[in-house]
Amino acid sequence: MLDRHPVPHANRSDSRTTARRRLQAGLSAAVLATGLLTLAPGIARAQDASDAQCFRPGGGTTATVQIPAKKAPYRIAFANGFIGNAWRVQMLQTLKAYAEQPAVKPLIKELRIVSVGTDVSAQIAAMDNFISAGFDAILIDANSPTAFKPVMRRAKQAGVVVVSFDNTLDRTGKEGPLVQVNQDQTEMGRKMGDWLLSTMKNKNHVLEVRGVPGNSVDRDRHDGFRDALKAAPGIQVTEVVGNWDDGTGQKAVADALAVNGSFDGVYTQGGSVGVTRALLDAHKLVPIGGEGENGYRKLIAANAKDGLLGDSAGQSPALSAVALKAALAVLQGHAVPEEVRVPIPEANYKTLVAGTNYFPELSDTFFAAHDFPACGITLSAADITGQSAK
Amino acid sequence: MSAHPASGIGLAVRHKLLPILAFVIFALMFGLYLLLQPHGIQTSVLVTASNKGALLALVAMAQTLPVLTGGIDLSVGAIVVLANCLASNLVNGTPAQIGLGVLAVLGTGVLAGAVNAMAVVVGRLQPIVATLATSTMFYGVSLLLRPSPGGEVDDDFASALTGDVWGVPVSLLLLIAVLGLLWWPFSRSVTGRGLFAVGSSDASAFMSGVPVGRARASAYLGAGLLAGMAGLLLTLIAESAQASAVQAGDFTLNSIAAVVIGGTSLFGGSGGLVGSVFGAFILRTIGDLLFVSAASPLWQPLFQGLILLGAVSLGALPLLRVRNRLELFR
Repeated sequence: MLDRHPVPHANRSDSRTTARRRLQAGLSAAVLATGLLTLAPGIARAQDASDAQCFRPGGGTTATVQIPAKKAPYRIAFANGFIGNAWRVQMLQTLKAYAEQPAVKPLIKELRIVSVGTDVSAQIAAMDNFISAGFDAILIDANSPTAFKPVMRRAKQAGVVVVSFDNTLDRTGKEGPLVQVNQDQTEMGRKMGDWLLSTMKNKNHVLEVRGVPGNSVDRDRHDGFRDALKAAPGIQVTEVVGNWDDGTGQKAVADALAVNGSFDGVYTQGGSVGVTRALLDAHKLVPIGGEGENGYRKLIAANAKDGLLGDSAGQSPALSAVALKAALAVLQGHAVPEEVRVPIPEANYKTLVAGTNYFPELSDTFFAAHDFPACGITLSAADITGQSAK
Repeated sequence: MSAHPASGIGLAVRHKLLPILAFVIFALMFGLYLLLQPHGIQTSVLVTASNKGALLALVAMAQTLPVLTGGIDLSVGAIVVLANCLASNLVNGTPAQIGLGVLAVLGTGVLAGAVNAMAVVVGRLQPIVATLATSTMFYGVSLLLRPSPGGEVDDDFASALTGDVWGVPVSLLLLIAVLGLLWWPFSRSVTGRGLFAVGSSDASAFMSGVPVGRARASAYLGAGLLAGMAGLLLTLIAESAQASAVQAGDFTLNSIAAVVIGGTSLFGGSGGLVGSVFGAFILRTIGDLLFVSAASPLWQPLFQGLILLGAVSLGALPLLRVRNRLELFR
């Protein structure tokens, strides 16, 4: 199981002793400049032409963030929220693995990660601590979209670059350098609607399995999906709540099948393995759109010939690596869009290849959409799970 | 511990052993944190620690009052979120409007406490079940007040109360004021002493003429007021609100942990608010220690759990000197 293979503790040189000698946060840049001399020539290659493809603007704005270049290497902090599911663990592992890449490693003096749980005030305090400690950039997967207004003011005063990803912030227009990295959730829902319309034989009755109620991701994916279905007027949609959870989804779909008999197609926002198992148990294999779990892709590959024509696209845990890449790019003085929308990693029953976009030997909970080739983030599954030989 | 029972200081130390122990643990942990801080003792570091510590301390104090009577309040977290959502709508505008807003928020806290008191004292429901039900109710109201995260809060007011005066965090001063102006007089009143009496043995308290109902009701009312203050402080820290059931549950669980670490018995009758304050600060310092320790992220929850277990175990040390072994089963 993935969760039992934590990435070994990185033996970073302890920067604390040198840091303590510093008197003020304001001095840190100067100290860094005279600091490590390991600026390999390979650094320039780390930010190459692929950036324009990776940092695609979105979210209705093309504004960019640009600050005067700071001298590498940088001190980067990550104020994570909770850590209690497979996605978050893989997200952290990906971040650490990406920071160890030969092209990235010389740029980073220190990568400090703290997970504070679900408490908003603790996450605000963690950010405050990172600001006081003079970090150059702070990454954040925010517990609340609105609660960071005051701490963003303090980040602006201190000149700290903030990159939020996955659960991003509501922009107020008053913050300092803030880059937000995410995938377009509405687009993801729309893709799945289009997929079902192009794959279903009959277009009469569709089952939609929604996520956690009240969450903006659930709302956006739902809106995109319904928008795509407008192309088939008169199609009937049954909605159940699956909470993005395998157990809940499996039960909800089993119930829906018991009541409705069968559907022409299914869209689930998450918990795709459970939802698919419910279809398999009922012998009602139909076209399906779902998230990016490895187990789901395994089931599609095994059952496509029997009618489980599946499409899989999901929130990639590698967003953390893109966020780090964006932070480094801003610190190096590059212009990066304020709102980065990375391409959605997608695979369907025709494009699934074992070992490339799904992994028969890895656990079901691994998120198969584990890299962003367009961003130069091409970590192998072994790099991420810490099973690599080196 | 071995002081002669007749000596006044020895007696006081014995009575306050657990809060003192909690204070020592906190002082050691926080000292270690400041020592490992890359930039030493800065005002900003103290303000950050004080803000998040005072927030949890208020919730822990709210939880302590019902626990002293042998009850529990599972709705403190929900009252914090309720006050947070209300404050995000009201604490804005002219100074007079802000003042009224603050009063309305605290009043709502007391009102929520009154609902609990009604259920427990008049309705004679088990506190654990009654407050579980009311917590869902309070969360429902929060959701109505703030369907989606956000809110406008006066910047200057928020910055002033979450900042510092001459290097001393304002939130810490507020906490001391609450202890000195509310808890200290109350704990010396007849009703205040009734809390402990009811918690030790409600039957004997009743037979001795202690106002049992009033003492119990005051515990839940006080819990509501303190949780309302916590909600207000959260609003000032975040300058917004979110009707989050997860956050409410988080506060409730952490408040119970802080109460136990601070030396208040979950069976009631012994303990106090001061210990809970240190308990809350200990809990928060665990997070700070992770910050300076550079522990690998996947190991952090384990470290957190181990430190927590250590702190709770130290709180149980006095059990070892129990004279009557039957007390162990209480």
